[in-house]
Amino acid sequence: MNRGGQFIPESMETREIRKKRGGNLMFKMLNPRRFYHAVGKKKFLEFLLLAVFILFFYGPLLNMLMLAFANEYSVPNVLPQEWGFKWWGYVFSQKSLVSSIVQSFVIAIVTTIVSMIFCIPAAYSIARFKYRGRKIFMLSFLLTNAFPKLGIYTSIAVLFYKYGLMGTYVGVVIIHMINSMMFMVWLPSSAFRSVHRQQEEAARDVGAGPIRTFFKVTLPMAMPGIAVATLYTFLGSMEEAQGTMLVGLAKIQTMPVAMYGIVLDSSAVQIGAVFAILLIIPSAVMIFLMRKYIGPEAISGGFKMK
Amino acid sequence: MDKNEGEYHMSKRLKQNLAAYGMVIPAFLVVMLTVTYPIISAVIQSFQDEKTGAFTLDNYAYFFTEPAQLKNLLFTLFVVFVTVAIAIVVAYLLALYLRFTKSKIAKTIGTLYLVPRFVPAMCAVYAMITIIRDSGLINRIGLLFGANIKLGMMYHASGIITMNLWFNIPFAAMMITAGLGAIPDSIIEGARDVGAGKFKTFTSMILPLSIKDVIIAATFVFMTNVGSFTTPYLMGGNSPKMLGIALFDQFNKYLAYNRSAALSVIMFLICSVSAGVYIYTNLKEQDWEKQ
Repeated sequence: MNRGGQFIPESMETREIRKKRGGNLMFKMLNPRRFYHAVGKKKFLEFLLLAVFILFFYGPLLNMLMLAFANEYSVPNVLPQEWGFKWWGYVFSQKSLVSSIVQSFVIAIVTTIVSMIFCIPAAYSIARFKYRGRKIFMLSFLLTNAFPKLGIYTSIAVLFYKYGLMGTYVGVVIIHMINSMMFMVWLPSSAFRSVHRQQEEAARDVGAGPIRTFFKVTLPMAMPGIAVATLYTFLGSMEEAQGTMLVGLAKIQTMPVAMYGIVLDSSAVQIGAVFAILLIIPSAVMIFLMRKYIGPEAISGGFKMK
Repeated sequence: MDKNEGEYHMSKRLKQNLAAYGMVIPAFLVVMLTVTYPIISAVIQSFQDEKTGAFTLDNYAYFFTEPAQLKNLLFTLFVVFVTVAIAIVVAYLLALYLRFTKSKIAKTIGTLYLVPRFVPAMCAVYAMITIIRDSGLINRIGLLFGANIKLGMMYHASGIITMNLWFNIPFAAMMITAGLGAIPDSIIEGARDVGAGKFKTFTSMILPLSIKDVIIAATFVFMTNVGSFTTPYLMGGNSPKMLGIALFDQFNKYLAYNRSAALSVIMFLICSVSAGVYIYTNLKEQDWEKQ
């Protein structure tokens, strides 16, 4: 607290000195009117757009990031009175929260693998072969996304009760898989289609078999689409909450399910902030690793039946 | 010789078909078993009496006659339509900006707007709550200037809509940007060359060429918001509720499986309108591409 107390008057002092001098360009630019005249109308509007954009889309996230490192944050203060890792220690000392982290990762990995096994061949089939009912197969995957998820989940849950799948890992993985099937088929499918047939034929001509051609030519070229789809499946599973809560029956507590509880009845806003940051980390890492492949074209491919 | 060759082609074709079906059918069966079958059984269940199993329409009537339930339905439609309207208009403007401005700022926004798509829903909701709740950031900043701002957005439609916009504007803008990116510069320059103004170029070239992506984006925004859960669960009030929450309550709190089946079907029907538009738009595009 002391540190904060000293910090503010100091900065105000320096600012005042700088104002008197009137020299520093940075501070000149902070005056909106001067800035407007300096850069012109068009640039000014662009900067305004950027500011609004960042405030709305990133402001909340940045505020939450700040709260995660706030040991002390009582009402009238905009900035925390005391910084530190107090709440990180608290979260990691809770056994149930740590086990939810482990469960989340296990379920997400299993879901991703199972859904790849089912969906990638289907995607290849739809992209490369012409046969009766192709369009119907393709449309069928839309079903998983065309209806309100919760409606599907409650309908499935009734059947899960019958077959004893409520509160089991199998049940939860099935729920998570439904979520991602459309992307997992459509995105790789459009990726496979973008691989030219001539390239495959060239490989076949020099004597490669169909399987070798697939793994050496087709798959590497379709990799961006598949990578984005896999990323989606993994992250989708990591953040799925409503279905897990409904089908998991409080026996299976993934991170997002635990997060519901934290948000709704936590005493300190910081616990939620720390946990939310933990939930975001996998996404952040994945996006960073796959940044080459992520673009509007790649992502929106999953929403179109091309 | 001729016959042999024919046989060879036959068997090759058969082999290909077998491979094609063999690859697509496992995934198809998963969808049938985990989506189609449950939906069909939910439809049947929705017409059955809770105790006797006899045919009845009461499960449906409940949601249209009970004032609280009717209010939920209208509230949901209101929130969804406002969300779609604002999100699509803003997203379209943003997409136009991103497509036709080649500045550093446009590039920055073009990267930054992809990120919200990857932020787990409840983290984003929670982050927004830390801003708009009564002791949130906006209130605290207000206090600095001596104003006690109570936004009242928590447990209110405006909070849910704000959050929906946070999720859907980047998504819709991304879909539309991908569509606009496919319009070659030459077409637009061509229109300019023959003397079309900015507005004319927009209405006669850009809008018609991108309208399909706009519709696809709108239908997706519509469908995802009708059944939205996390946002209203964490931000919504007790009454009126979004349909997703009402359904969860019916199923989890009241254990009214037949009624929840009926509500699911009602939500399916609302969505199927937009799913129909979506499929129609998509298939039309394919015809256009064939030429």
